[in-house]
Amino acid sequence: MREKNYILEVKDLKVNFHTYRGEVKALNGVDLKLYRREILGLVGESGCGKSVTALTILGLLPQNACVIGGEILFKGEDLLKKSKEDVRILRTNELATVFQDPLTYLNPVLRIETQLKEVFMLNKKLLRQAVIAQKAHGKNVTFSSLLSWKEELATEPSDLKVSRAEIKKMAKHLCVDILGLVKLPDPERILRQYPFELSGGMRQRTMIAMALARRPSFFVADEITTAVDVTIQAQILHLMRELRDKMDASTIMITHDLSVAAEIADRIAVMYGGNVVEVAPTVEIFRNPLHPYTTMLMKSIPNVKKPVKTLKSIPGTVPEMINPPSGCRFHPRCPFAMDKCRKKRPKLIETIERHEVACYLIGG
Amino acid sequence: MTSNSTKVRAGEWAARWADLKYTLYLLRKNPLVMTGSVIAIFFIVLALLANFIVDPNLANPTGYPEFHGQYPFERKFVWNKDSIINWGPGIRLYEGPEQFYLGTDNWGRDLLKMIILAIPVDMENAVIITVAAAVFGTLIGALAGYIGGVIDEVVLRITDIFFAFPALVLALVFAAMIGRSIPTLRLALLLVWWPPYVRLMRGQILGEKEKGYVEALRGLGAGHLRILFRHIMPNSIYPILVQATLDFGGVILTFSALMFLGFSPSPSLPELGNLAAAGYEHIFEAPWLIIFPGLTMLIIALAFNLVGDGLRDVLDPKLRR
Amino acid sequence: MGGQQVKVYEYVIRRLILMIFVLLGVSILVFYLARGFPSGLAPWAPYIDPKMTEEQIQEVIRAHGFDQPILLQYFYWLRDILHGDWGLTGIWAQGRPANEVFLSHFPYTVELSVTAIILTVAIGLPLGIISALKNNKLPDHASRIIALTGYSTPSYWFGFILQLVFFYYFSLWGLPHLPSSGASGMEGAVARVTGMPVLDGLLAGNLEYTIDAIRHLILPAFSLAFISLGFLARIVRASMLEVMRQDYITLARSKGLKERVVIYRHALKNALIPAVTLTGIFFASLLGGAMITEYVFAWPGVGQLSLRAVFQGDSNFLLVYTLMIAAIIVIANLVVDVAYIFLDPRIKY
Repeated sequence: MREKNYILEVKDLKVNFHTYRGEVKALNGVDLKLYRREILGLVGESGCGKSVTALTILGLLPQNACVIGGEILFKGEDLLKKSKEDVRILRTNELATVFQDPLTYLNPVLRIETQLKEVFMLNKKLLRQAVIAQKAHGKNVTFSSLLSWKEELATEPSDLKVSRAEIKKMAKHLCVDILGLVKLPDPERILRQYPFELSGGMRQRTMIAMALARRPSFFVADEITTAVDVTIQAQILHLMRELRDKMDASTIMITHDLSVAAEIADRIAVMYGGNVVEVAPTVEIFRNPLHPYTTMLMKSIPNVKKPVKTLKSIPGTVPEMINPPSGCRFHPRCPFAMDKCRKKRPKLIETIERHEVACYLIGG
Repeated sequence: MTSNSTKVRAGEWAARWADLKYTLYLLRKNPLVMTGSVIAIFFIVLALLANFIVDPNLANPTGYPEFHGQYPFERKFVWNKDSIINWGPGIRLYEGPEQFYLGTDNWGRDLLKMIILAIPVDMENAVIITVAAAVFGTLIGALAGYIGGVIDEVVLRITDIFFAFPALVLALVFAAMIGRSIPTLRLALLLVWWPPYVRLMRGQILGEKEKGYVEALRGLGAGHLRILFRHIMPNSIYPILVQATLDFGGVILTFSALMFLGFSPSPSLPELGNLAAAGYEHIFEAPWLIIFPGLTMLIIALAFNLVGDGLRDVLDPKLRR
Repeated sequence: MGGQQVKVYEYVIRRLILMIFVLLGVSILVFYLARGFPSGLAPWAPYIDPKMTEEQIQEVIRAHGFDQPILLQYFYWLRDILHGDWGLTGIWAQGRPANEVFLSHFPYTVELSVTAIILTVAIGLPLGIISALKNNKLPDHASRIIALTGYSTPSYWFGFILQLVFFYYFSLWGLPHLPSSGASGMEGAVARVTGMPVLDGLLAGNLEYTIDAIRHLILPAFSLAFISLGFLARIVRASMLEVMRQDYITLARSKGLKERVVIYRHALKNALIPAVTLTGIFFASLLGGAMITEYVFAWPGVGQLSLRAVFQGDSNFLLVYTLMIAAIIVIANLVVDVAYIFLDPRIKY
């Protein structure tokens, strides 16, 4: 059954940030489910908590952040209860992420080779196996073939001696290979270069390669199409689709651009003010948005076929997170707000099949 | 046109006030800065009251009325009661009535009182030199940065020449040539200390020019001088303040170093470096002569450096959050 | 980086040409102050001893050309130095040629400076890094106090305290003590090759001499280092803090790298760039002779020589000294700027 098939479940996650102006209540009880091998689009305006959710799952929150409640169940285990070291180890081979602006996210003084190779070098066991396999079977190991190795790691004989130099060589070979996988031309040359010598699109692909190299089962792509122009955007989305088929990963695709989500996501989750307010399969959510926020969002997208004189927008402004509105955080801007909306936040409930909403208008 | 510029200014001042409150809040949270401030304020108050706490005549080794002309030699280099005096006729113990908390110096003056008298001298110097250097350097830097072109190049080259000297050498050479009075020494230090401000301010101005508001103000019709003095400079003032606070300690140290090396106008002037110099020949017999004046200088400089350092941390735009 | 190298070459040449102008400016300034300034010491003062008659004094004046108008004196001086003649020093330095006096004492200053810089970096660098990593916690506050104390200490005072404790009191208490002055207690025991006692001792294989030289070196070097390490620690701290906030550190962590690796491989290289430049400049100014420390420890370097030259009003020596130091500082700045180009691959010229 599909219900048992989710790889990640976030339950009622609450995160605060300590700032000089006060406590920023960034996440207000986020509920999220991610199924195996799907792409979940996480959409919402700037500041609604999308990135914070991702960072919390990965354990990469800055020092002034504090998780004050909730659970993050990854393959059944609560990540929040694990030690920092355990989470770090998970990051080496299960959890991966790609960020928005590759220029600031790549270390400017290190070559691409250094930054990419270190990911492979984190998993020396795998490299050893690869070298042994190469020697034993005589054929070239490619990264793609490694992708299917996850389950077979323990079976190869481990009595053969493998030198450090051979491990390094295999790592470099895999680097070249993986750059080819993300459609980067002339990988050897790119490895020798520094980040600022590459174009924006190439940098983005390099970051994707760095994430891929871990053969993750969970993958976060945080606004990866935002900083690039439309043509590169299309290429990257195409790449993501290809990789999804090859990898066994479940992906959260964070974006504020609904069209990007529409193109690539299987399901879409809409966030507002630190909560997930609606989750549904892509086609369904566009055809039948239930939450008032989602509805107004859909209405504000200009339609090429039916041009209007004025663009529709949602009245009011994004809530300020130090003193957020009580109850349902959307209520100040909601045309259907009722008394109980002010008092208590509605829970995310599945109303129609596979379509969850957090609103008193529809159940709750 | 003026009213628009005024509106911009009004908005700017409101933002600056909020900024200031936040700055003070951050400062209060930092224990080191608070300690430094307390000590600094203590010394400032002490400097202001010094001449009332201790009779300044005591500094004059000859003509102190109570002793009809001079401090008795038994009082020289004494630590306290029962100190051994081993110069002059025979070796004996000091049996006088006075209690010296920090010993006496080569003239027999009470060291603690001399240090108290010396503090206003040093602090006054530091204030005058730092303020003058900051004002002078900032103005020139601002003009160089704002006007640019040839003036900028010339100013840069001049500061290059000054930077090519280690500070002490330059001050020494100036001092040796100009003379040994306090005003001339101040001038010498001033000439050494102004170049960093030029560079600092110029850097700030260049940075501010990159931001959009200068162009916006020009579009509103504001004149150059107005833009420079009423808009740009208040925004750039923080690093100057930090540098001035940090320089305060440095000036005290350098000035007293000059005194120590022998540039003082009169050997009996109560000034921390001077007091230390007098003790240099008798280091091992009367170490307190160097220990305590130096210690005082250390504490004063440390206090101001703590404040300046904390200020710099707090005002760093990237570290504020 | 082939094309880059040509540009670096041009840059260096440009800076060197600029340096000549700066040096000229410095020389004019010092020349005027030392010889032409009305209220200073007479430029012939260092060559006169009190026993001379009026006639002999006039003879000295004429011989050195001090009776000429100042502009002419400057041109003669310029002409002379192009021939390698830097003039003679006064009686205080036995009337030897100024450049010879400078060069014979310079190695001592070099020895002291190098040791001081090594100590500064060895202590200041870790201090700054710890301060940054444990930001606003106890180690940060502690190292901050150490750093700022060093920065606020009068250099003569600290040197003196060291002498008091390690020389005077230690010997009083019967503990093994360190010498308080000079560079070596065994002058002349070893052939003078480099002019630096420690090196000469090593070259001659004379262990006792070397150890003695090291013993003399410890206190003054530490005295110098104590004051500069604070400054270095602050810069390293600020730099590290800024680097640790960068996005690429987050990415490095997201790769699952150990925190130690993140710090050493990713953060440090970025953070050390300003520290390296600062150290270079520090070193240059130390080479200028930490005057006061040399004076307090009677260290035979150029710093304390320049002090005596100032009091004597010896313009020849002062000119040699200031020009040398200015050249060193300008070259150090240049070296540091060029190093920057190689350290940070983003910089293009």
